[in-house]
Amino acid sequence: MSGTVGQAAVSVPVKRKRLENGDPSKKRRKSATDDDSEPKAQIEKLENEIFESKKHYNNIATLIELGQKQDEDAKTGLAAADALCRVFIRLLASGSLVKRRDASEKDLTVTKWLRDRLADYRGLLISMLRNSRLALNALMLSMALVKAEALHLNDRQEAVFPRYFFSDVVAAVFESLDELLREELLKKFIKQYDDIRFYTFEAIKSFLTDRGSSVNEDIRNNVFQMLLEMGDVPDSSGSMEHFYIEQPQRKKHPLRSLSQHKKQAQEAWLALMHLGLSKEQRKKILEVMASSIAPWFTKPELLMDFLTDCYNSGGSISLLALSGVFYLIQERNLDYPDFYVKLYSLLDSDILHSKYRSRFFRLLDIFLGSSHLPAVLVASFIKRLARLALNAPPSAIVVIVPWFYNLFKKHPLTTFMMHRVPRTKEEKDLLESEGMEDPFLPDETDPMETNAIDSCLWEIVQLQSHYHPNVATIAKIISEQFTKQSYSLEDFLDHSYGSLLEAEMSKEVKKPPVVEYMIPKRIFTKARPDPEEKDSLLVGLWNFGSP
Amino acid sequence: MAGSQLKRLKASLREQGLIGPQQSKKQKRQNAQDQKAKTDKRLQRSEALASIREQFNPFQFKTNARGPKFEVTTNRPANDKAALSIKGRPGLAKAVGEERRRQTLLVEMQRRNKVGGIIDRRFGEDNPNMSLEEKMIERYTREQQRSHKKSSMFDLEEDDEPAGALTHMGKPLFDSEDEAVKDDFAEEDLPSGDESDGSRAERRRLKRQRLAELAEEAEDDEGEQPERKKTKKEIYEEVIAKSKLYKYERQAAKEEDNELRAELDQALPELQALLFQRPKPPPKDEKDDKSPIVIAGKDKAALDKDYDIRVKQLAADKRAQPAERTKTEEEKAEEESNRLKELEEKRLKRMHGEVDEEDEEEEEEEDGEDKPRKEKGGAGEKAFDPFNAEDNDEFGLGKGVKYRPTATELGFDDEDDFLIDDDLVASGSDLELDSDDMESEGSDGEDAESESGSDDDEFVKGILTEAESKDPVFQPAANSKGDDENGIPYTFPCPQTLEETIKTFENIEVTKLPVAVQRIRALYHPKLDSKNKERLGKFSQALVQHIGYLGDKFEPHWFPTLESLIRHVHSLAKTFPIEVAKAYRGHIQGMEQDRPLGITVGDLVILTAVGTTFPTSDHFHQVVTPAMLAIARYLGQKIPQVLSDYATGTYLSILALQYQQFSKRYVPELMNFCLNTLCSLAPEKPREKLGFFPVHEPAAGIRIKGASKLPIRKLNCVDCQQKQTLAPEDETSLKVAIVSTITAVLKSAAETWHKLASFQETFQPALLVLEHLLSKPNASHLPPALTSRLADTAKTISQLLALARLARRPLELHHHRPLAIRTYVPKFEDSFDPDKHYDPDRERAELARLRAEHKRERKGALRELRKDAAFVARENLRVKKERDAAYEKKYKRLVAEIQGEEGRAANEYAREKMLRKKRAARGR
Repeated sequence: MSGTVGQAAVSVPVKRKRLENGDPSKKRRKSATDDDSEPKAQIEKLENEIFESKKHYNNIATLIELGQKQDEDAKTGLAAADALCRVFIRLLASGSLVKRRDASEKDLTVTKWLRDRLADYRGLLISMLRNSRLALNALMLSMALVKAEALHLNDRQEAVFPRYFFSDVVAAVFESLDELLREELLKKFIKQYDDIRFYTFEAIKSFLTDRGSSVNEDIRNNVFQMLLEMGDVPDSSGSMEHFYIEQPQRKKHPLRSLSQHKKQAQEAWLALMHLGLSKEQRKKILEVMASSIAPWFTKPELLMDFLTDCYNSGGSISLLALSGVFYLIQERNLDYPDFYVKLYSLLDSDILHSKYRSRFFRLLDIFLGSSHLPAVLVASFIKRLARLALNAPPSAIVVIVPWFYNLFKKHPLTTFMMHRVPRTKEEKDLLESEGMEDPFLPDETDPMETNAIDSCLWEIVQLQSHYHPNVATIAKIISEQFTKQSYSLEDFLDHSYGSLLEAEMSKEVKKPPVVEYMIPKRIFTKARPDPEEKDSLLVGLWNFGSP
Repeated sequence: MAGSQLKRLKASLREQGLIGPQQSKKQKRQNAQDQKAKTDKRLQRSEALASIREQFNPFQFKTNARGPKFEVTTNRPANDKAALSIKGRPGLAKAVGEERRRQTLLVEMQRRNKVGGIIDRRFGEDNPNMSLEEKMIERYTREQQRSHKKSSMFDLEEDDEPAGALTHMGKPLFDSEDEAVKDDFAEEDLPSGDESDGSRAERRRLKRQRLAELAEEAEDDEGEQPERKKTKKEIYEEVIAKSKLYKYERQAAKEEDNELRAELDQALPELQALLFQRPKPPPKDEKDDKSPIVIAGKDKAALDKDYDIRVKQLAADKRAQPAERTKTEEEKAEEESNRLKELEEKRLKRMHGEVDEEDEEEEEEEDGEDKPRKEKGGAGEKAFDPFNAEDNDEFGLGKGVKYRPTATELGFDDEDDFLIDDDLVASGSDLELDSDDMESEGSDGEDAESESGSDDDEFVKGILTEAESKDPVFQPAANSKGDDENGIPYTFPCPQTLEETIKTFENIEVTKLPVAVQRIRALYHPKLDSKNKERLGKFSQALVQHIGYLGDKFEPHWFPTLESLIRHVHSLAKTFPIEVAKAYRGHIQGMEQDRPLGITVGDLVILTAVGTTFPTSDHFHQVVTPAMLAIARYLGQKIPQVLSDYATGTYLSILALQYQQFSKRYVPELMNFCLNTLCSLAPEKPREKLGFFPVHEPAAGIRIKGASKLPIRKLNCVDCQQKQTLAPEDETSLKVAIVSTITAVLKSAAETWHKLASFQETFQPALLVLEHLLSKPNASHLPPALTSRLADTAKTISQLLALARLARRPLELHHHRPLAIRTYVPKFEDSFDPDKHYDPDRERAELARLRAEHKRERKGALRELRKDAAFVARENLRVKKERDAAYEKKYKRLVAEIQGEEGRAANEYAREKMLRKKRAARGR
């Protein structure tokens, strides 16, 4: 059904002809099976009568009434709405709803009455949208109506978009719980047509500002989802050429300017952000900030506060905000004071366990990619990460060490962290007698003051005896000769326990594995009181129920 | 030496005394008088002339056109003056070349299209030293020899009558005196034709001498015979007789030998019997009489055949190997300790990840051969046994059993010692008899199918049963051949999958499982059937799965059973390493895919088994590495929610630490888990961060409260199972147990890892956490025994920390030899020679050398060819000229002749005319 309506919306005249031609035969056929499809036939009859003469305009009211009964009888309601849509489209196309100055009093009354009925019909459609069963059809009908209205409701040359009706539709879509409905709107209209997207932004903005804080969490979520999936920013004003209604003639028309589009989008986003976001939403926003939100903004500076707040809030939020901040720094020349101090503070115990680890390292690689950074600062980052690596999963260590290698190559001063020969005799004597303390200050927040450059990377040396052979081998690169130019980080990112295990398991056992040559006497049981036998660690610490 | 060429020539001639002022007559006469000096002088003269000619021919020598080089431009030795001045003698070279051509090319040219013909190869044809007669005789003898050689070597009659001797009118051609000569030629060792004639003559002479001596000897032997001097004929007859006698003797000896051989042939069957120790039917008397007939008669064919078979068997037999010397106890012990040491070294190598190819091969070999002896010191009954190796199977069962000290090893090659000392073998040991039965059945089957080897089989079987009956272990088995009081059947199907295993072991009490497993292993021992190897491999896999299965539904008293099952798997793993490894890996994989963070007790048991079965110290190991990763994954990623999670984690921490006991590798996840657990269980939350380990906020009710009165117990596997409810008392005691175990783990971890480079950074947080637990608000909730343990651990750690601080040195990782920058500047040559090519690329240099040589050769060849052509042309021209000249001469001669004749005729005519004229004048 919805398909035919959609078609009807696009090709009204053809449809009309077909309807006219086909109707009599249809009617005849229908009359044969009159009993079971009685309301349908009635609706058809009513519709045809409307087409036949103006006298039967009252049928419209009947149809609307029938439509309003959709709660009880969905089929009839739908059929009625369907019929009404056709009726109105035809009426609109024939110009019956246009107020003409030269029209007679009587005509004006008719027009006014028709307009009222149209308003009723709109209300009917909106209510249908709320009905989950009919929503999809109602959406199609509404969009058909929107098109017809835009084209024919005014007698002006240019199409006038029925904003209010459309925002009602959008609002209804948001309020409905139906996921499919939103997807339909997105897929069939918003992503397809530039003007619909434009008006959707507008509608969202007005919807959010009108309702204010009364918008509940679900709706907010829906709006958020919708905005997220709006698609990419068009390249230029010229590339926007898909219009649902028609391409506006004027070059200056807001629909044809990219900045206007962006402005609408920006306002919609801002309206959403002003409402306040849950933590999850904030994370999501931050996740796609640089890729799909910020490009929509004509003034990304407006995001500055939001991003800085997020960045300062700590935890995974700041991790995620990092890419947004970076976008601003890159695009808008944002001057973030103490950026590296903040970045340094992000290196806490959770960062290597976080699921955004790879994302963070990609950014960190960019931030520390400059060879003009002070070696002291780079050393602090290296040392801090080395400390963290002591408690890190293997997949993180695997990234860190090659990254260190690249930094060492770029900042040769930091290589003293791997190789420091005591120069004077006193120094040597002191080392002999007292050993040494790590000069690194782990609690210092300023990376310029941590003394890391005077420290050594004992941590990585320890990791050279990591239990996982590959990790241990990778950790060994810092004590090999630095013959390679640099390591590509991408080869090491995105590992996990699962992938490491998978890699091990995918290897077929071909060579017989080495078997322990001694079969242990005891595994679970306690050793006998024998000086030669000793409990294993496990038996010593665990009770296996043996006496 | 100025002056024209002519003047200089004159001067030099004068110098040599060739020309000079005219000699006086007196001088001339004097010179002519001493003839002797004359020849000398002429020689001298010609020499002098030649030298002068040389001197005055500017083309005789090739010299440097621009004179000698300066020293600076060449590093050739400057003192070689001659070399400097004369570079070649073109004239001489030309002459030599010309001469050579004349010898070869010219000859060829002249013979071209002219010479063909027969080469005369007749004997002595081109030998000028032989007279015609000699030649003829020689040729005749050779012909005779040719025909003679065809006859048999041992033909005695042959030289009685000189076959086809030359006769003349029926009489021999040669007189008896001349026979010697003939005999001489008949000698076998007559030199062949191609020998030089001089040497032949010499030989002949020598031979005559020898014969003469022989004859003299013979004369002497005859002693006091009349003094008559023997004639030559007599002597030669004697010689002939003697040689015939020798010949006869040789033949007689040969015959004797043959007889002896025949005798031996007759006796062979008996000898064979002796050789092969073949029990023969008692020898019958009449056979002795018969035997020669048998050999000679119809049975010979059969005997030959038998003999052939024997020979083949002998050829196919393995060469007997020298038996190992029986070793003394000390030697055995030493060998054992050496072997252990070697294995340990290999383990260390693997630990450092430096296993190279040949090592791997070795290991593979060893896997087959490895017969681990369990007892370290006890060299006693587990002596080193070279025949013990698995790969000796081809020798058959008998040998293996014979050499084995204990027959239990028949069933299970190495693990039985522990089975015995664990008294597990006790009542069910009659299974060996079963296996024996099986075996004899098997060999019966073999008998049926292979008739030829049946004897050998019987032989083997005899030994086998003998060995078994002697064996002490089999005797009690035979005694207790009654029923099994445990209700374990004696025979099993060999389970191939987990389902089959479960079904098979359904009715067996779990604690009795090892007996069943042992029986299965005995029943399906690889030596009993070729398919058993595969079966047992599958069974070992199923057994691994079964262990996991049992672990999941464990009961505390099952652990000794599980232990012995694991040990069974371990010993199976020595035979089936790949299968067992696959089973373990399969389990780990399943565990990771289905429940990465929900590890069950069965998984714990499997992981423990992995840790004991395989060397956990290896740098990389196909089974241990994934197992370790799985453990670390749980420790690192599991956020414990309930106490059982903590308990499981604790078990895994212990296991991880036990894995790394030997190699002392660092496990970050272990530290994270232990510290996080301690923080979570601590009665109070720490106020500040205690380190860089991630802290998970514990679920409600995890923190220990009011446990100060509780005793400390050990954790057990029941704690790892998630239970719905626990009594508050039990719960708290479990928490205390976890804390105390974790503390112990930390302590032992600190002891394991105190040598690591970053020990301070690693354990400083641990110390802080322990101190936090010992602080006032926390300690009041904990039992005093626990706090004292905590304090003890903290003390140990702080001591180790202080030690680590003392031992810490700045890193010096890069004492590498600095890398050489690749250079493209050519190496400086001390004695550079511009003629030489200093191409660093060997191949290219070689190629260039070859190319230059080719070019040179080509040029040379071209030049030679050109010269040849010139020579040929010159020669042709010369020949043509000669021919022309001859023709001319002939022509001239003819013309002259004709002219002469004509002249004569004219003269005659003129004379006639004159005469007529005169006559006419007279007549008038």
